[in-house]
Amino acid sequence: MSSSPSLNTWSDALSGFTIGGFPLGLIIVAAIPLVFIALYALTYGVYGERKFSAFMQDRLGPMEVGPWGILQTLADILKLLQKEDIVPTVADKFLFVIGPLIMFVGSFLAFAVLPFGPAFIGADLNVGLFYAVGIVALEVVGILASGWGSNNKWALYGAIRSVAQIVSYEIPASIALLCGAMMAGSLSMQHFNVVQSGPYGFMHFFLFRNPIAWLPFIIYFIASLAENNRAPFDIPEAESELVAGFFTEYTGMKFAMFFLAEYGSMFMVSAVLSIVFLGGWASPLPNIGGLALNTMTSGPVWGAIWIILKGFFFIFVQMWLRWTLPRLRVDQLMYLCWKVLTPFAFIAFVLTAVWEIYM
Amino acid sequence: MSEYFSNIKTATTTIATGLTITLRHFINAVKRKGDAGIDDADFFRQVDGLCTLQYPREVMPTPANARYRLYNNIDDCIGCNQCDRACPVECITIETIKVTADDLAICGKTSGGQQKRMWVPVFDIDVAKCMTCGICVSVCPTECLVHTPVADFSEFDVRNMVYHFGNLSKIEAQAKTKKLEEEKAAKAKAAEAAAASGQAPVPKPAPKPAPKPAGDQAGE
Amino acid sequence: MQELGKAELNSTRIIRQDDNRVIIEKDLDTEYMVLSMGPQHPSTHGVLRLECITDGEVVVEAEPYLGYLHRCFEKYCEKIDYPAIVPYTDRMDYLAGMNTELAYCITVEKLLDIEIPRRVEFIRVITAELNRIASHLVAIGTYGIDLGAFTPFLFCFRDREIILNLLEWISGARMLYNYVWIGGLSYDVPADFKKRVDEFVSYFKPKVVELRELLTENEIFVKRTKGIGIMPAEVAINYGWSGPMLRGSGVKWDLRRNDPYSIYPELEFDIPVPDGKFSDVGDSLSRHLVRALEIDESLKIIEQCLDKMPEVAGFDPRAVIPKRIRPKAGEVYGRAENPRGEVGFYIVSDGKSTKPLRCKARSSCFVNLSAMKDLSKGQLIPDLVAIIGSIDIVLGEVDR
Repeated sequence: MSSSPSLNTWSDALSGFTIGGFPLGLIIVAAIPLVFIALYALTYGVYGERKFSAFMQDRLGPMEVGPWGILQTLADILKLLQKEDIVPTVADKFLFVIGPLIMFVGSFLAFAVLPFGPAFIGADLNVGLFYAVGIVALEVVGILASGWGSNNKWALYGAIRSVAQIVSYEIPASIALLCGAMMAGSLSMQHFNVVQSGPYGFMHFFLFRNPIAWLPFIIYFIASLAENNRAPFDIPEAESELVAGFFTEYTGMKFAMFFLAEYGSMFMVSAVLSIVFLGGWASPLPNIGGLALNTMTSGPVWGAIWIILKGFFFIFVQMWLRWTLPRLRVDQLMYLCWKVLTPFAFIAFVLTAVWEIYM
Repeated sequence: MSEYFSNIKTATTTIATGLTITLRHFINAVKRKGDAGIDDADFFRQVDGLCTLQYPREVMPTPANARYRLYNNIDDCIGCNQCDRACPVECITIETIKVTADDLAICGKTSGGQQKRMWVPVFDIDVAKCMTCGICVSVCPTECLVHTPVADFSEFDVRNMVYHFGNLSKIEAQAKTKKLEEEKAAKAKAAEAAAASGQAPVPKPAPKPAPKPAGDQAGE
Repeated sequence: MQELGKAELNSTRIIRQDDNRVIIEKDLDTEYMVLSMGPQHPSTHGVLRLECITDGEVVVEAEPYLGYLHRCFEKYCEKIDYPAIVPYTDRMDYLAGMNTELAYCITVEKLLDIEIPRRVEFIRVITAELNRIASHLVAIGTYGIDLGAFTPFLFCFRDREIILNLLEWISGARMLYNYVWIGGLSYDVPADFKKRVDEFVSYFKPKVVELRELLTENEIFVKRTKGIGIMPAEVAINYGWSGPMLRGSGVKWDLRRNDPYSIYPELEFDIPVPDGKFSDVGDSLSRHLVRALEIDESLKIIEQCLDKMPEVAGFDPRAVIPKRIRPKAGEVYGRAENPRGEVGFYIVSDGKSTKPLRCKARSSCFVNLSAMKDLSKGQLIPDLVAIIGSIDIVLGEVDR
């Protein structure tokens, strides 16, 4: 809240905007992330994934609804809304209903601390990063609730696998993010961006400023894949092994909620990755002599564009990996976490500390 | 320890190779496969790129000898019943009525010049049952029963999948049956008369050679 | 009380043996869970049902249940004429119709003792090898899906589509050909066929390399399959395994060489067996590898056949087809190397009828699947999926 008062003037001005005493500006500020999430999940998330995967596989993807199938997701959602909402008779009804809700809420709570540009941030907490890492762990509860509540053996397998996986991968992910926090000297999300912005563009980003930063960067990226249950770590939903994993029994909108939550988390981790290591809303273009590219491409609107572009790039990489690689086995997943990522994360942690002290 | 690092190295390099391949395909997605058939000389010049054909609008052409929907050219059909007997799934139903001698000219000849001796009031093919094996086509003596390259003939009602090729309507068929029965009765009467007048030979072999001369007489 | 606490602490020991089987030792008694895998499970390749008794994720025992696709092939054969059985053999192994047809036709030809024109033999071998490639492509692609890699599957199907186009062009049908007839073929190949197959071979060769780089050499894929479901050679022989499964266990056994039929003795090709460097001999990866390498060998065979195929003016592929097939009394067993192993037909003729008195089909998948119970002991569920995929079953052939 206190870390970047000058940058918040835009949002302060907007939230102070009223029409006849009605705080319209406040509603707009609150609505911006929601509208963005809805648009993103509809277009880039589902539609984009289907198109990207299709192009990688020499297919066309959805083509029928709208030009180039752009309205396909809308049609799917309409279909899901019309579906009968089945709750199995033997299911634990409370857990069954609450599972997708917890997942959905857990995934989107983290958006509160994501700075969408210098002016737009829901809550600039001084422990923003910590909050973001912590709140996403709520998803585990949702997965476990839905897997257990379904009273289905496949769902149970999926849920148990998922808990083991997400809890384990929290550790290398958190340590990798701590490296970033050490470099920034703060846990505030807005502060990360402030220290990484400057006239030389990408040269200010931690990834390029610090010779060790690529290691925590890669570790966090891999760990975030596992936390999102994305391939090659999609063993909780492994469709060829566990039918559909923890959401085997879900239909209709409850099923759609899992998807929205997944795409929400995908953007969330991509945004965190770009904020911590790649400057978030800071423009990567440098000022070259008289050509002030950086100054031209900075500002509240440009900031939003940059962070969304960076986030989308990492989502693209996630999709790219998903449609290339086979799936790991449970024990290999744990091997990767505890024997590869965690030791390397500690090494990166120590090296970063040394670099920060002596350089 | 060296195994540990070499594992990481091979994993990284092979994953990178895989990613390059999918990226290459992603970039190549600006091209699309054409819809030329395999019998086209340029077939392999247009297989690059996205290979989806959007079915109802873009159709993969079926070659000329493709075996799909059955078609019977009833004008050439002599009602020999061989296809019915050959069919392993019994999807062909044939009913025939012998042509009376006075109708032979009306019934006509096949395109091969063979005199047709059977009316075929019912020639039903249940294409829903048909497994397109082509055995019926291979036994057909007049080559009137053929598989066509029409592959898309779905229906909402399975009863519409029964194709009727018969060359007589129901009323016509009844008339023809009646006519044949009358002729038979007349023939039997003639045979009886012959038997009564003659030395009463064995009645059994009589009907077999009888029809032709009897028919000829009737025709005359 | 103290002892119980101690026992609880050390109650479970999970041990992964050298052959990758997992053993759970417990001092306390826990319940097993019965997990019904299939018939509507995505990775049982059709309608196989496995009843797994599981201890956590470890399969203690898996029992395959068959018969969901049973179509009374053998009984039906007693009711229909010899040539009319051919389309039914297509439907046994619907991914390799040409090969099964060939196996059936050479069996009846053995019974009839007829000489087949040379050109017919070449065409038969080309189509059979094309179909072998198509079948292996499905096997490799679906194996990728079983292990979570979706993209190789679609690449495989893209290329298989071209093979199906080629076969549709010559036979008139895409999968259920009824092309190889007893004593000949239903049609001669089109005029351009040789050229088009040649073009296909040159089109396909880089795709095989791409597939290998994308799937077979991928470290995750190797880690998922290497050392999983190891089948020693002698046990494989005792189970009666054949085809890529047996060769995966290191036995150099291929009916095209060991019991040669058609013109295979004239052709040069290798029988790929794993050397134990890239994979452990007898594991799932070896079986996958054998299939991948066999594609190369099949391409080699096709190239040789295209070179050697005699051009006969006014060739009639139906010239020596008997008008009425009524073999003399006797019995015969004929077999051929299918993509999935040995497919054989045992036919008894009474000498009077145009229908076989008995037609027994020996299907490779059924025999290969019989080892499932042995292979699945002590495997994790993901490994079980990898093993089923490596067996490459076609339920149409298992149940017939």
